[in-house]
Amino acid sequence: MKSSFPKQFMAKGLALFGVWLVLSGRYDLFHLIIGFIVACGVAWLNTGYSHAAFQQFPWVRSVLYVPWLFLRIVQSSLHLTKLILTRSLPIHPKLISYRSHLQHQGAIVLLANSVTLTPGTITVELNGNHLLVHAIDEVAAEDLTSGRMERKIAGVFQQEAKR
Amino acid sequence: MTEFFLMVLIVLSLLILVYLYRVIQGPTVFDRVLGLNGISTKAIILVVVMGTVYDRVDMFVDISTGYALLNLVGAFAIAKFLEQRGNL
Amino acid sequence: MVILAIAFILVGLFFLVVAAIGTLRLPDVFTRSHAVSLTDSLGAFCVLFGLSLYQGFGINMLKILVVLGLLFLLNPVIAHATLRAAYRVGVKPKAEEDA
Repeated sequence: MKSSFPKQFMAKGLALFGVWLVLSGRYDLFHLIIGFIVACGVAWLNTGYSHAAFQQFPWVRSVLYVPWLFLRIVQSSLHLTKLILTRSLPIHPKLISYRSHLQHQGAIVLLANSVTLTPGTITVELNGNHLLVHAIDEVAAEDLTSGRMERKIAGVFQQEAKR
Repeated sequence: MTEFFLMVLIVLSLLILVYLYRVIQGPTVFDRVLGLNGISTKAIILVVVMGTVYDRVDMFVDISTGYALLNLVGAFAIAKFLEQRGNL
Repeated sequence: MVILAIAFILVGLFFLVVAAIGTLRLPDVFTRSHAVSLTDSLGAFCVLFGLSLYQGFGINMLKILVVLGLLFLLNPVIAHATLRAAYRVGVKPKAEEDA
């Protein structure tokens, strides 16, 4: 279901106005009015051209996905730290070619971004739903190859996967 | 407290020197780009620490935001240029 | 609060130093980019989060967290763009291909 123009406009305007409030740090009437006008103008210019992948992106539920991702980042960072500080440098870099079963384009973007954000794995090439991932060894790539990350993201996109 | 933050600043500048070695020495052009990316991340942190030292974080944070966004545009331009030029 | 902030900053500095050692020791572009990504994610997070704790709750804390969110969003994109250019130009990673 495609969200309508006024709804998108409202959401974008409110988000931009929130950024203005945080970054300006002054709350007299003049600055608030200027910020409101600028936020509405930028939202007006940008509504209607957004990429199809982000039109039905489940923003709220992808926020719930962030703590799990952060835990994985901490774990793999510790693993990578141990690898770098070991004297003999026991790395086994490899290229993994991975075909994702996710339907939604935004889900694939989220998957590729999570893979890159996790230390030890980086998305080198993304073509359709075919990812080429460079991993520093098997342990770092285990999260992706076992399909755990993909299942988590499929959980976030539950409704869109079933349509 | 100021002494602690000055020490943090010194450590960050030494780390920038390490990345500078990678930029000068790097075997391929992409090593240099990667080193520049690392330097810009350090510079963003450095600006925020400096703001803490001078007690004007609200101003210095804006500078570091601008630095991060400009770094994104620059990195994209370099990556696109190198990709389209084709050879090493 | 201040103690916690100092602890976070020290942990973050440790990760930054490890990442710098990694860029010196690792053999090629692809593995080095892993080290840079370690800096971006955990090192920068710990230092900036420690600084925002030192500021105390308020507008300054929110501002530093905005910079932090920006780093988390933008740095994977930069790393991916650089590595994709390297791969397409034909830099060969020291790695075994695995289908």
